[in-house]
Amino acid sequence: MAQMPALIPKEVEIQRLKKVWLIVIAMGSVAASVEVDNFVDGSLHQTSIRDSAFTPAHWWLYSHFITLPIGWGMAAVYDRKIPVLRGPNNSMNTGLKMTILGYLATMFTIGVNEMWHFWFVEEIFAVPNHWMFNMGVVVAFMGALAYVVRIYARLVELGAETPGENPYIAEMYKMALEGKLYSRSIP
Amino acid sequence: MTLPKGFGSGGAGGSSSADIERMIGRRVENMTGMITASFWAAILATAAGTAAGYFYYPWAYPTASGHFAFIVLTIIETIGYIFCVKVMEEGSNKNSNGIVAASVGGAAAFVLFVSLFVGW
Repeated sequence: MAQMPALIPKEVEIQRLKKVWLIVIAMGSVAASVEVDNFVDGSLHQTSIRDSAFTPAHWWLYSHFITLPIGWGMAAVYDRKIPVLRGPNNSMNTGLKMTILGYLATMFTIGVNEMWHFWFVEEIFAVPNHWMFNMGVVVAFMGALAYVVRIYARLVELGAETPGENPYIAEMYKMALEGKLYSRSIP
Repeated sequence: MTLPKGFGSGGAGGSSSADIERMIGRRVENMTGMITASFWAAILATAAGTAAGYFYYPWAYPTASGHFAFIVLTIIETIGYIFCVKVMEEGSNKNSNGIVAASVGGAAAFVLFVSLFVGW
């Protein structure tokens, strides 16, 4: 396994990784809350017409789709202090990039959705203006998983976390540490 | 070891433990108070948000529905809170199980109170 060079003292790196971890847990809770509201909003739209954009199910949904890109953006700001989390050519970590782009798409879709519903009140799940909510969340989840695995793998490497015993999981951590979680050519 | 600008001994080489302390800032194992305050802020915001549902939109959001959402969200927030505190304190000699237990117990009592007496 390629050993990443230690650019900052080990103790500093563990503390910084855990600070990012705090943001990740908070964002995970917000994402879980969005999943609950997926059902709440869906059940509302099956039982009552869309009387206003500002029903509580939408406050809940929309506030989260603003919180998530901003919160992950805060992770990106702090992430710059941890050399091992840098992406290709010293850019932002690829997983983090995907997460922010995915949630930015959902934030953008709030506006698209409201414009669509200005003319078409029908709230069936499959209307095109809802597609980007779902695609954005899926892209964001994929990126967040890669980012989380990479942080955890580094904490394992630094001895701050216990390594996974399952060889398939261990292989995934190894790939993450080498920056090859998606493929061997795209870091 | 190369340290960021402003740290170290200005080219004389080496870093002191004071430099490392400055780079760390507040240690994560000392953030339990901040995490607990954030947890309670989240609980109160959730209570207010669900209450807005059943007080202002009672035709679409019956009280029972709002309380159900409040209970589920409090469980999600509690799991996050416990996870945050335990992960931040692991590997250190800090132990805030008492604070966590009191906070989670208080949250459970608060949720029960709201679910039984508010909005009916």
